[in-house]
Parts: sequence; structure tokens; C-alpha cells
Amino acid sequence: MRSRLLLPAVLAATLLATACGGGGDGGDKNAAPAASGPAAATGSLTVWADDARAKPLQDIAAAFTRDKGVKVKVVQKGLGEIRDDFVSQAPTGQGPDVVVGPHDWLGKLVHNGVLAPLELGDRAAAFSPVALEAMRYEGRTYGLPYALDSIALLRNTELAPQAPASFAELLATGRRLVEEGKAKLPVAVPVDAKSGSPYHLYPLQTSFGCRVFGNKPDGAYDPTKLELDSPDCLRFAPWLRELGKDGVLSTSLTADIATDAFLKGRTPFLLAGPWDAATFKAAHVPFAVDPVPGADTAPARPFVGVQGFFVGAKSANPILAQDFVLNYLSTPQAQRALYDTGGRVPATTAVLDQVANDPMVAGFARAAQAGVPTPNLPAMDSVWADWGLTQLAIVQGRGDPAELTTAMAGRIRAKIAAG
Amino acid sequence: MTHTLPTRPPHAPPGRRPPAEGRPASARRRGLGGLAARIVLLAVVDALAVYGLLALAADRSWWMFGALLVGTVAVNIVYATKRHVPAKYLAPGIALLLVYQVYVVLYTGVAALTNYGDGHNSDKPDAVAAILAHSETRVPDSPVRPASVVARGDRLGLLVTGPDRSVRLGWPGHPLEPVEQPVRDPAGRAVAAPGWRPLTYSQIAGRQQEISALRVPVTGDPNSGSLRTADGISAAAYRSTLAYDRAADTITDRVRGVVYRPTSDGVFAAPDGSRLSPGWKVFVGADNFRRILTEEDIRGPFLGVLVWTFFFAGVSVALPFGIGLLLATVLNGKRLRGHRIYRSLIMLPYAFPAFLAALVWQGMLNTDYGYVNVSLLDGAHIPWLTDPWLARLSVLAVNVWISFPYMFLICTGALQAIPAEVTEAARIDGAGRWQVLRHIRLPLLLTAVTPMLIATFAFNFNNFNVIYMLTGGGPKDPDAPIEVGSTDLLISLVYKLAFGGSNRQYGMACAVSILIFVVVAAISVIGLRRSRAFEEQT
Amino acid sequence: MIRWFVRIGWRHLIGVLAVLVAVFPLVFVLSASLNPSGTLTGSNELFADATGTHYRELFDDPLHPFGKWFVNSMVVGLATAIGSVFLGACAGYAFSRFRFRGRKAGLTTLLLVQMFPQLLAYVALFLLLSTFDDVFPAIGLGSRLGLVMIYLGGALGVNTYLMKGFFDTVPRDLDEAARIDGASHAQVFFRIVLPLVAPVLAVVALLSFVATLNDFVIASLVLNDPDKQTLAVGLYHFISYGVGRNWGVFAAGVLIAAVPVLVLFQFLQRFIVGGLTAGAVKS
Repeated sequence: MRSRLLLPAVLAATLLATACGGGGDGGDKNAAPAASGPAAATGSLTVWADDARAKPLQDIAAAFTRDKGVKVKVVQKGLGEIRDDFVSQAPTGQGPDVVVGPHDWLGKLVHNGVLAPLELGDRAAAFSPVALEAMRYEGRTYGLPYALDSIALLRNTELAPQAPASFAELLATGRRLVEEGKAKLPVAVPVDAKSGSPYHLYPLQTSFGCRVFGNKPDGAYDPTKLELDSPDCLRFAPWLRELGKDGVLSTSLTADIATDAFLKGRTPFLLAGPWDAATFKAAHVPFAVDPVPGADTAPARPFVGVQGFFVGAKSANPILAQDFVLNYLSTPQAQRALYDTGGRVPATTAVLDQVANDPMVAGFARAAQAGVPTPNLPAMDSVWADWGLTQLAIVQGRGDPAELTTAMAGRIRAKIAAG
Repeated sequence: MTHTLPTRPPHAPPGRRPPAEGRPASARRRGLGGLAARIVLLAVVDALAVYGLLALAADRSWWMFGALLVGTVAVNIVYATKRHVPAKYLAPGIALLLVYQVYVVLYTGVAALTNYGDGHNSDKPDAVAAILAHSETRVPDSPVRPASVVARGDRLGLLVTGPDRSVRLGWPGHPLEPVEQPVRDPAGRAVAAPGWRPLTYSQIAGRQQEISALRVPVTGDPNSGSLRTADGISAAAYRSTLAYDRAADTITDRVRGVVYRPTSDGVFAAPDGSRLSPGWKVFVGADNFRRILTEEDIRGPFLGVLVWTFFFAGVSVALPFGIGLLLATVLNGKRLRGHRIYRSLIMLPYAFPAFLAALVWQGMLNTDYGYVNVSLLDGAHIPWLTDPWLARLSVLAVNVWISFPYMFLICTGALQAIPAEVTEAARIDGAGRWQVLRHIRLPLLLTAVTPMLIATFAFNFNNFNVIYMLTGGGPKDPDAPIEVGSTDLLISLVYKLAFGGSNRQYGMACAVSILIFVVVAAISVIGLRRSRAFEEQT
Repeated sequence: MIRWFVRIGWRHLIGVLAVLVAVFPLVFVLSASLNPSGTLTGSNELFADATGTHYRELFDDPLHPFGKWFVNSMVVGLATAIGSVFLGACAGYAFSRFRFRGRKAGLTTLLLVQMFPQLLAYVALFLLLSTFDDVFPAIGLGSRLGLVMIYLGGALGVNTYLMKGFFDTVPRDLDEAARIDGASHAQVFFRIVLPLVAPVLAVVALLSFVATLNDFVIASLVLNDPDKQTLAVGLYHFISYGVGRNWGVFAAGVLIAAVPVLVLFQFLQRFIVGGLTAGAVKS
């Protein structure tokens, strides 16, 4: 009889120990409303942001809390998880009220009914038209933009003082520097060995006139008009193979190695986004930022990603969330704060004017102006996968470039049709 | 129960621990204390359970209510009575297992019978709400005006201030009408009207769902739209092209005159075949399983991937186990100086996250710039991760590197469990070192670690991370109908089904998981039967 | 000399070889943690440029409370390790010493349940925890205790097998004699049998500690407040893609995170290797 008493006792001790170990979890929750004082409004907001955006958001949120008495919890999540976790958690009503992310998530988020439309009203006038256009999906606006980013050409000004007018000129300069022993690589184009890099190569591809999708009459991408096997694309494919054959493009040149090469002055040119540029600035690499020059006659258009804020459809605090996004995150001060920590090109024209004297921002801004929004169709996930794999195969010479391209377009069409 | 044993003269065999001093008295004291502790603990558990039952009932979570009720009754039966001794030892672990693991299995089983995935992400009311919200568009050229939410009794209204300081008030069913003598805030915005009180921000916050749903007709003409506020301080006129008829369960497009009806696969569809997005989750029976077994895209690569998965999992168990056992044996001797340092350093890979190790290896195995090719092989260009067969070899090698410390640890522990007397006796009988290892230590060791090996096999069968980080399943044949690479395991096939295509097919991925589970479980049961793990010792 | 090599030396040779293989790739991590460039495998010139900035950065960034992550990981890891050992030992003992209906089937089921592919479990767990949030917030979303409970849900299974196997090697006469002396089954369990299987307890503790420390998926699902996150979740912020990955800080953090595992291993090595008392004789 007495024997049996020990087990529950030990169990209790263990439970207590773990409870103490994880202590404060339950308490915080109950303490929260009381702590925010008598003026507190009911409800609190949860914002999901990745690491880079969390800090400025916390400052803006502090102002909201001060004015309205609403607690804002900024949750840091990896950018890779935000979209899919949001989709799976939103239906429970326990998902975040506001999320930060690029506009190309829109298709998937709207298709799953997890986003509430936003009405920017007169505030829209403050934003650049590209940014606003990107935040629209099927005619409705779903996000408040704050920054644009796109690929640009980073040039080591010591190795290459002149900006090349064309990709051919860029290659000539690069090759000369390699021959002179001043550099190891004529140009560094990061390629992911697992998934290729259609994103980095898109400006070169568009300079051949090869686009991913055609447009609807209203300017939006039309998923039924895949153009990846257009005659222009069939010209681009062999050119890509030539670059691979010459060793200009290498599928083993990962982003890590490319970054390191540019950092150490081993290559005069690097195709990169604003997030990488900060590293070089910190390391005092002498560099300039220009739009990627074209390799053929059409204009080189990189993909532009527009970063913004979205409100959840099943947010428990729809009014507070909209108030926070529309009236706090849209202000010039907030947009400036977001720029200051991110260094991306501001989406509001006023903030862009303030910072345009920074040559780095100006360079990326010019690159973004030349660009086209990344498609925000739900079908893009499968497009990226097939597109990148085929690029890898072309660069490595695993088959005829034109045949690979045609086969890829067929597969993507079948997937889009299967929906 | 102990008192019912027939009393026999106590005999303490030599070499055994002496009983703790003063045992009977202290045991009885502890018994009383223990009894009290048990009563208190059961009372606490029951109190928590009652609280939980009430909360769950209030929440109308009847499944959880039932589960908690059954669980509480079971715990009381187990711990309040003298019987069910084994259950007293098993109950806490089993309870947690049921809540956190069996639940996941059941959930997956249920989800496998649904079309849960992109476009069918939530329930029907959510889908209707999203469809209606998406169809509501702002009346072209209509202004956004400062507005206040006001209340009369329980009724909510909107108070709109025009550019000329004119103020109008309306509420559901009552179009806007001018208001005389409104109360204004310093900025000139009307905040209250006679008979209507203003809402403070916290009152707004408390009635958000109501305010979001608030629609005030601009005029008597429905085409002029309804005013709506999104942020509680401004309003604009919106028109919706779609209307939901709750009774008929149809959505009507008022402009085109089309009626959408719910279909069995969880969308609103019109007779002309057009559909409204999003749809909702519905049960589709065994459809997902049927598709796996019949669709060429899925069935085609299945066999090849299955063979590779078996091979990968088998080698990932056998090789690290062999290396771990070898090292454990070699470094076991107390006479070996520094054996503790060896052990600690060999454990190092185990102390690092596996995904980081995979990424480091990915860099080291890079064809043109990796350390292995550039420095170790003097500038070779061996495509370790991009050639199908070399990639398989590399994936295996890296996984062996990741897992051998674990096996080393297990074997070191297990070898210690073999009583020294057993091997010494054999040595005295004239058995050589090798014979002792082969005929005595190894069989004993295998008996102890077989379940571990089977579990490791199952783990590697589903070792998504290493593959995903190292090769992403590649290298892939770009011409293959679906995106399957040379190093893809069944589980990465699941991942691609669930997330890879343009459509996240969660229900389908659940169905594949269940099939994988059935395969792994069948193999494991056979393995366990054949091993000696089930041989009873008595 | 030759005799020394035949008896002992070759063991050193194998040991050194194993250590080299085990440690070498980690040198990259160490190099990355000291290299200011912030890439992980960008360069093969190890330690070309060494600085301690990444380590300093770890400790004075209020947005990334590394110290708190460390403490959280220790608390969650140790609580899980202790809980797993306790639950696993109880179950292993029950399966080893008692005969009851459904015993064999139960043992198999425990192992099988753990083999279920967990890749898709996150949706189910989120639903469960969000319901707990309304009823028992102490084990709901955002709670470290809730996370420990999930880990403890997997405490049976393989651990039970491992422990049962060890309990089986402890002769039954030992407990029978103690029972005759008037000890209850619980006293036999805690005072006689458990000390004899110290090595396996230590192994299970270490295994669950390391598994907990390295878990990212479930921990990031449950813990969303930076102050409550564990090392695996927190450090991942540094390399979440899309925003310049900071491998340097990440590598520094991972290196520091590995220290407790090594310390624990050092501490438990005593039990794992030398912990068997002379008690267990018969098999």
C-alpha cells in the first residue's frame, strides 16, 4: 500500500520542477492586460516579422501602444516560415493579425482566403506606382508597401571604374582583369546548385525579350500566357549555355562563394540585392550600384519584390490591425524608420527623395525602376522549381538548350492547368 | 499488497545492499506522507480537470471534453485503488503519448480523407466570408471621409464628416442623413450626435467584429453602395457584386445574374463551370489514396524512390553502428590513456545541429570551390553532389558522419551493461578475445540495441533534413514528369506533394505519410519478431 | 614499442583518426565564427582573418537575447531530459517486471507510434496547442512548459525499449529479496533497480537533451516570443533567408550552444562508462 504513494509523490515533484522551470508562462498572459494601465483598450495585436524588420516595427508599435493603449507583440519568424505558417494558422483565428512579407505571396494568401483587403484611400498617393501595382491581386489591394528590392550590378570601382553599357562590355572588362591577374572571376552570378537562379538571371533573360508571363489587358500577369518558350526565350537558352561553357556561369558558384569573392576583390562584378550590399559597405569594399546591363537589344528588367504589410482575414482585432497598418505604418516617419534598418529602396516617394543622395540606394532605386514586379500568382511556386532546374541543366550542358526550354514550358503549363 | 505476502524469515544474501536503516518505521512514516501527497496530487489533478472540463464545455470543444473526462476517470481508477500496479508506472507517459503523438497520428489520418490544401484551407463560413470580402469593391471615385463610430443603445451607426464640415449619420437600413449640432473634436471631426454617444477607442476595440460588419447605405439607391469603416476613424462607400443567401446556401452574382452553388468538392460553382475562390475543406473519402495508387505521376517514381529509401535507411543504420561499435570497443579500455578526451571529441558532431553539419558539408563538397576537391584532392573537379551516383554516395557519407557519434554513445553505454563476469567466465574457459566478442558480447549487445537500431532505421527512412539541406533531393532530371531527384526519399516526395507544386496538397501528403507509415511499421514488426527483443527472460 | 603498439598504440591510432574525421568539418564552423565576412563556406582559407566581433554581437543585441535563449534551452532541455528519463524508466520497469494483458502489443505499439513521419505534424500540434491556449494557457502556445510536454509525449517508445533491456539484465532475485524484506515495488524500483541502470539513464538523458536542444520545427511552432525562444529557434533568425545571412554570428552561437552538451557528456560519462555497480551478476 505505502509503496504506491511514492510514484505520485515523485511525479508531483517532477511536475512542479518542470512547472518552475517553465515558470512565468501562464503568469505573463494574465498579467498583460493589467500592466498596460487603466487607459488600456481591450485586445492586442500580433505582428509576424522576420529578423530584419522586427526592430523598427517594435519602435513604431511602441508609438501605437502609447497612443491607443493596444499592446503589440512583434514575433520574429524566419522569412521562410511566415507564409506557410500563416496559411495554416490563420483559419484557427489564432494566427497573427499582421504579417510582413514580399508581394509575391499574395496569390497564395488570397487563394487561401487568409488576407483582408486593405483600403489605402488617399494614402496611396504617397507610394510609387510600381509598389501599389504589386500589392494588387485580382483588382483588390491587399498590402501596404514599404520597400522595393531587386537585383542590381555591384561593381568594384577600383577594378572597374566605368559602369559597363552592356553585358558584353561587362564580360570584356571582367575577362581583361582576369587575364591581367587582377581578378579571378570576370563576373560573379550566384547560382543555387539545388534550384538554379532564375531570379538573378531574369534581367539578362528579359534583355532578350524573354518574359515569364504575358499580361492581361489591365497589366496584371496572365497565368494562361506562359512565354518561357517564346522565340526570344529560345534565343536566350543557347546564350546561357555559352556562358556555362565559357565558365562565366558556374553552378558551383554559390551565393556564399560569390559574396566572398566580391568582398575580397576577386571579381569586379556581382549580381546581388540590397541585403548583400550592407555587408560590403561594412567591410569598406569600394563599390557602386548600377542596373544590370542588357545582353541583347530589349531592356533588362529585373524582378522587383515589394515588401509590405498584410492584415489577416480572421484577425480577432480587425479594426486595430487596420488602424495600425493604415495609420501608423504608412506615416513618413515609420516608412523612414523601416528604411533606416533595412536599407531597401523606400516605397514612398517622399522617403526616397530624402535618401536619394545615398548612391547605393539611388543605384538600387534605378534598378527597381527598370524592373517588373515578381509575379504574385499562386502558380509561381511550380514555375520557379521547373524554371530553375532547367537553367541548371542548360548551364551544365545536359541536353539541347532549346529542347530543354520547350519541355520545361510544357511541364509548367500542365501544372498550371492542373491548378 | 506487500503485507499480503507470506512472511518468510528474512535472509540477506551476502554482497547485497543492506536494507536502509530503520526501514519499517521510516517506511511507515513515508507511507503516511506519501498517502497525503497522493491525495493532494489527485485532488489537484481532479481540480484542474474539473476546471478544464468546464472551460472546454464553455468552448464547446466536445471532443476534448470527452477525452479529458475519460482521462481523468482513468487516472483516478489507476491511482486511487490498489490494483493496476503496472498502469501506475505507465499512466503518465501513456497519457502524454496519447495527447501529443497518437493525436497527431489520428489527425493525419482524418486529414488524409479531406481535400485540405491550397484553396481548401478552412471551413465553409470562412470561405464565404473571404469570397464576399474579395467581391466588395470601393465605389469608383467615392471619397474616403473622416468617420466616427457612434452608438444608441446597442445599435451602432457611422457619423461622417464632409469636406465642408457637414455631418451626416446613418445606421444599417437607414441611409445617411444630415445631423444638426454634432459634437466635434478639436480637428473638426464629428464624434457624437444628439441621441448618439461616441465610442471610446477601447469600446471600439471591444466591438471590432461588429464594427467591421457594419454597413450603412449611402443613399436609398443600392448602387451608391454602403459605407464601411476599416480602421474606425474613416469610412468609404463600397459595393458588393456578390450576395450570400444563407437559407438557400447560394451565392448570387448580382451583376451577371449567375447563381453559385456549393459542390461536393468544397467550392461554389456556377452552372457555366466558373468557380469562386477560396473553397473549403470537405471529406473526400479515400480519394487521396486512390489517386496515389492510380496516378502515373505519383506511382511512377514511387518504386525507384522506395528502393533508394530502403538502401539509404539500411546503410545509415549499419555503417554508423559498425563504426560506433568498433570505436566503442577500441576506446573502452581503462588502460587507454586519454580515452575520455577521445570520447568527448568524437561526440562533437553530435553536439551540433544536423542541418548545420549538412550545410558545411555541402560547402566542402562543392565541385569547383569545395575544400575536399580544392585542398584534399589537389584541385580535382569531382561532382560530389551533382552526379547522381556520387550524390547518393555523398549523402550516405555525410549521414554516416552525422550519426556515428550517436551509435558510439549507444554502444559505449550498452557494452557497459554486459556484466564483466560473463566475459571473464568465458575467458577463463579459454575463449579468445575475438570469440568472446563474437559469441558473447555481440549477441548480448544486439539484444539490447535492436529496438534502437530499428528506431534509427525508421528515423533515417524519414530523414528529410539531411537530404533537403545537402542536395534538395537532387540532382534532378529536368525531363522527369515530376520533380524527383536521385537522392529523394519517400518523405521528401511527401514534402514536394505537400508544398512543392503550385498547389499545397496537405490532405494528399497526409495520405502518403500514412502509406509510408504502414510500410515502415510492417518492416519494423517483422524486424522485431525476428530479433530476440521479444524473448522473455524468464 | 611494437608490443605497446599491438596492445595499446593501435587504439590511439584509431582514436586520433576518428577524432580528426569528427572534428574537421567543425573547424569550418569555428573559422566562420571568427571571420568577419559572414559567409559559412565561401572560402577555404580558414582563420585567414580572425576577430571576436561575432561573439560580442551575440551578447549585446537586445533584439536577439542570446543569454535568454541559452537559459531557455537549458531549462527546456534539462526538464525534458529528466522527464524523459523518469517516464521512460517507469515504463521500462513496468514492461520488464510486470506481466499484464497487452504487454507485448503495448511495447510494439510504443515503438511504432514513434515511427510515424512527423513532417506534417505541425498543423495538428498547432490546433491542439491553440485549444489549450483557451483552457490551460500554461501549456498552450508560447509556453516553454507546453513545449516540454510535447517533447515528453515522445518520452516512451525507444527509450522504453532501451531501459527495458537494461532492467532485464538486473537479476530478479535482487528485487524479490528486497520485497521479502518488506520493500514495496516502488521502493525496489527507486532504491535498488534504478541505481543499477545508471548508465542507461545517463544515455537516455543525454539523448533527449541533445534532441531537445537541436529541435527547431516544434520549438519554433510553440515559442514565438523572442525572450522565450530556445537557441535553435533564436539562432535561426540570423540565417533565415532573404535578408543577408549572418553566418558568423550564427556559427558563434552554435559553438557556444555546443558547450553544454559537452559539459553534460563529461558529467554523464562517469555514469555511462563506470556507473555499473558490481550488483548485476546473472543474466
